Amino acid sequence: MPVLWIALTVLALAAVGFLVGRGRALSTAGGDARKLHSLPNYYGWNVALFVLVPSLLTLAAWILIAPTMIEGRVVSLISEEVAADADARNLMMADVRRVAAGLDLAVAQGVMSAEEASDLRAGENDIRGRLAEVGVALGDNVTTAVLAAAQRYRVLSSASSLWMTIAVLGLAGLGFFYAWRRTRPDYRARNVVERSILLLLILCASIAILTTLGIILSMLFETQNFFSQYPWQDFFFSTTWSPNFRGNSDLGILPLLWGTLYISFIALLVSVPIGLFAAIYMSEYAGPRMRSVAKPMIEVLAGIPTIVYGLFALITVGPLLRDYFAQPMGFGQSSSSVMTAGIVMGIMLIPFVSSLSDDIINAVPQTMRDGSLGLGATHSETIRQVVLPAALPGIVGAVLLAASRAIGETMIVVLGAGAAARLDLNPFEAMTTVTVKIVSQLTGDTDFAAPETLVAFALGLTLFVMTLGLNVLALWIVRRYREQYE
Amino acid sequence: MDDARLTERHLSTDETKIAAKGVQVYYGDNHAIKDVNVDILDKTVTAFIGPSGCGKSTFLRCLNRMNDTIDIARVEGDIRIDGEDIYDKRVDPVQLRAKVGMVFQKPNPFPKSIYDNVAYGPKIHGLSRNKAELDEIVEKSLRKAALWNEAKDRLQEPGTGLSGGQQQRLCIARAIATSPEVLLMDEPCSALDPIATAQVEELIDELRAQYSVVIVTHSMQQAARVSQRTAFFHLGNLVEYGETGHIFTNPEDPRTESYISGRIG
Amino acid sequence: MTDLTAAAPVPKTSILTQDKRTKRRNAAEARFKAYGLAAVLTGIAALILLMGSILYNGLSSFQQTYISLAVELPAEALDKTGNRDPAEMRSVSTFGYTPLIAAAIEQKMAEAGVQIEGLSARDAGALISKEAPAQLRNYVLANPEVVGTTVTFNLLASGRIDGYYKGRVTMESALLDQNISQAQLQLADAFRDSGTLVTGFNWAFITSPDASDQRPEAAGLGVAILGSLYMMLIVLALALPIGVAASIYLEEFAPKNRWTDLIEVNISNLAAVPSIVYGILGLAIFINFAGLPQSAPIVGGLVLTLMTLPTIIIATRASLKSVPPSIRDAALGVGASKMQAVFHHVLPLAAPGILTGTIIGLAQALGETAPLLLIGMVAFVREFPDAPPEGFFDPASALPVQIYNWTQRSDPAFVERASGAIIVLLIFLLAMNALAIFLRRRFERRW
Repeated sequence: MPVLWIALTVLALAAVGFLVGRGRALSTAGGDARKLHSLPNYYGWNVALFVLVPSLLTLAAWILIAPTMIEGRVVSLISEEVAADADARNLMMADVRRVAAGLDLAVAQGVMSAEEASDLRAGENDIRGRLAEVGVALGDNVTTAVLAAAQRYRVLSSASSLWMTIAVLGLAGLGFFYAWRRTRPDYRARNVVERSILLLLILCASIAILTTLGIILSMLFETQNFFSQYPWQDFFFSTTWSPNFRGNSDLGILPLLWGTLYISFIALLVSVPIGLFAAIYMSEYAGPRMRSVAKPMIEVLAGIPTIVYGLFALITVGPLLRDYFAQPMGFGQSSSSVMTAGIVMGIMLIPFVSSLSDDIINAVPQTMRDGSLGLGATHSETIRQVVLPAALPGIVGAVLLAASRAIGETMIVVLGAGAAARLDLNPFEAMTTVTVKIVSQLTGDTDFAAPETLVAFALGLTLFVMTLGLNVLALWIVRRYREQYE
Repeated sequence: MDDARLTERHLSTDETKIAAKGVQVYYGDNHAIKDVNVDILDKTVTAFIGPSGCGKSTFLRCLNRMNDTIDIARVEGDIRIDGEDIYDKRVDPVQLRAKVGMVFQKPNPFPKSIYDNVAYGPKIHGLSRNKAELDEIVEKSLRKAALWNEAKDRLQEPGTGLSGGQQQRLCIARAIATSPEVLLMDEPCSALDPIATAQVEELIDELRAQYSVVIVTHSMQQAARVSQRTAFFHLGNLVEYGETGHIFTNPEDPRTESYISGRIG
Repeated sequence: MTDLTAAAPVPKTSILTQDKRTKRRNAAEARFKAYGLAAVLTGIAALILLMGSILYNGLSSFQQTYISLAVELPAEALDKTGNRDPAEMRSVSTFGYTPLIAAAIEQKMAEAGVQIEGLSARDAGALISKEAPAQLRNYVLANPEVVGTTVTFNLLASGRIDGYYKGRVTMESALLDQNISQAQLQLADAFRDSGTLVTGFNWAFITSPDASDQRPEAAGLGVAILGSLYMMLIVLALALPIGVAASIYLEEFAPKNRWTDLIEVNISNLAAVPSIVYGILGLAIFINFAGLPQSAPIVGGLVLTLMTLPTIIIATRASLKSVPPSIRDAALGVGASKMQAVFHHVLPLAAPGILTGTIIGLAQALGETAPLLLIGMVAFVREFPDAPPEGFFDPASALPVQIYNWTQRSDPAFVERASGAIIVLLIFLLAMNALAIFLRRRFERRW
């Protein structure tokens, strides 16, 4: 039975279980729901849960484990040298699966009879041609070993599928029966159901942890692979980056880090003063009408996807800077440059800085302002000498968060900064960043055995560690700051 | 109540420092202060008393235009300090507030050192020519606020690290340091414990020698202890204004009498 | 003024005249305020410049130039057997249709009496998009009965001709351009005068799939919009229930211990992890490890789900927190279990906030590009994916990735397409945010 049908059957059984459980609870209580420990629906849910949970868990486990076990047993049919080499084995297994799937399809479409399919011989029958009829294209003619393995594979798969059906439906039935038997008026159905729900909630909350683990493990594993092929000293301390897909690449991170930090620095240079002053103006000076217009407009900047900023850099800011600054002043000919990416990224970060600063400035108690104004300070003196120093830790936190954003930003630099890894001071030169290189090394044709591809994971891990450090620090500062005024 | 102590007080001056005539305050549609007339004397402690929400703090904030910082507040009428209309178009509230200092209900030291808290006013108003003069102002102000002995060894520590009573005296020192002529105090003791309150009250009594002090309080005992003149506010009206001893012993208005005897408020 | 002792009274100053120092301070005040205003205006100016640049470059992609031609569809060329059987007619490839169009152009020129020096028949045919024969063929295969008749088509003009009427191509630029000549532009002008060349709303831009490098005029967003829609469905179906469940646990049930602390710190950090890192995660876990297909909406959806979860969790927790504890107490007080109190009372009250947060999270996910690049969504996809659920596993594109894709092509006409695609994307985002704002206004409750 196909998996979908098994799942649907189990669901149907659960639905029946719900009704039956509910009915039995009511009938054992003589139709008087008040005599039950829990509401009748909980008895229904209880039965449904007992049907669903064990059987679906088994189904999931079976789907995950069975293919590996079947392959393990099929591989033994293939010659030993192939079985020993992981790559060759994977290739061979792909062929086996393909042939097996093709034969199944041919039988299903009636092109072959079931007996014919199991009696095929590699030499005599044109298997490749016949499978092509049903739309399964094979690269090579089928060898005897592959065909034998494929036949074995088919047998094992169908057996596995049969046993899976029996096991899953059997468990569902058992669960049904067990829960049905236990449905009595004094059975605490609600507690059981609620505990299951709580478990589900905990599971969902743990996904956050799993995601982090997934991020770290996936990158750690491949980074380790990378460092087994490429010396880590060269990665961290070499000043050249020139990947070469025929090997012998220089994969030094320094030029990429330099580009990343340079662009981020310019972005902060643009966004921090503008964002901060905008926040000060909005929260301290602007009247309600001005605020109701200007604030959403600036916040719109935050909702614009980064690809839009990227295009803006590519088609507007880049050419503008090149034609009116870089070329007349003799700084360079490139429209993609550190300046382009930095300015556009700065614009992107304005609302980020301003809304964080706005929150922080508003958290400074009004009594502090009154105290200063009451002494005859002007508004700006109050802001500069009382409000801002009081808000300083929070603002530092906001700037750090913005810096972390800037370092991890991808699309703007992909479209605006250029692709040349360079250690240079001229901001009108094209330079490149860590994120740009992650994209370029992982798109297109990738070979996950080559250091040129694997380096992307090392870059990703470096990026992750940098941003994580900044985020943890920033969040800690901001939280400490909030506590101070709570 | 110690009547003997009340009668012993005599007013040191009859010179009017602030004259308010027909003052009305609106918060949006709410008419918060209704036609208040009051003359506040120099070198005197004047107490504003009344139940909460009677408008006494609002009126106090009119005297140095702190209501300007609230968008919806609107003040009408005529308030003169030394004969000059403080709501005149030419008046810069900044200069006015340097002249009319204010101490708030909750101690609000800036997140700076004790020294910088006190030096803040003189610095922004340019009252000192050099560091030595500034040091002198800080010391004098702290001495006057009776905080010097406690704070002299920790001038560079943050003002927020002081106890509540010390913080409030620091705020008073901060207000004195700009050498104001009038000192407004908005329930300066409401956040303090009794011992700190006694210290601050003693301080207020000493300040009378140089400043005209206006204090808003919800405590009648406090008004009786520290003030020479008392104004009773009720529902935005100034009900009665006169010598403190007179108000507490012989109130003319029945509302004043009810409030003082604890029947309303 | 420094002497503070009572013995030397402070000289009285008038408050009606400003002294020098006050004037200076007020000037500083005005300057400071001007800086603030300048910052706000800079932000707004940046927004206007950004929007202006996108609209300026992109609005024209919603207009398309067509050439209206009466094309003769001779049976001997298209259907040799005469059965009108589409299966047999498939044997005629698009090359079989190209001469028909060339002939139609020639005829049109003759009709209109247009004579242009130095214009070969081949050049005249190049006015029509290379996509047009396919357009014609699809039409004929769908309507076999038209063979043997003459049908008037609005055929796509080539990208350069289209650009000529959008100001991208000029007579001067044609001199330097191998792909277009002045003679061709003159012919186009002649056609325009005779009403053969028309401009209309470009529905195909929204509905048709991407096209190859040489055919910017035929490139559309259909596959990308569908792919984005599929991914949003997956994100909604996964992120909303998981996010709400996680928030309920953290906000209502979690004991205050190290484990929950860890989860909390984790969530706030995940919200700030660069999006490209999620792409690496998707590539390593979903594609390399779990073996899901590349450039499939299912992988994109899963990656975006993980990215959106922190946003939804943070929003949901905030709105759960804003439900006052008195509501919980009231429910517990009448004997409800904690679970019942949460699901019957707290959750419904928090629902508007949760929905708003979810929509904003979805809007973020819709515009996200970087992680999708890594899971292979940059691939050139012309086939529409099937209907879900199988379609979730078919290759598809996504709106922001399509934009990126077009920026990487050499023909300048793709800049217009990319900007146009951004307008479409922004319209979607605008609609989503407007819905979120509407929900907030409509259902917001203050306690």
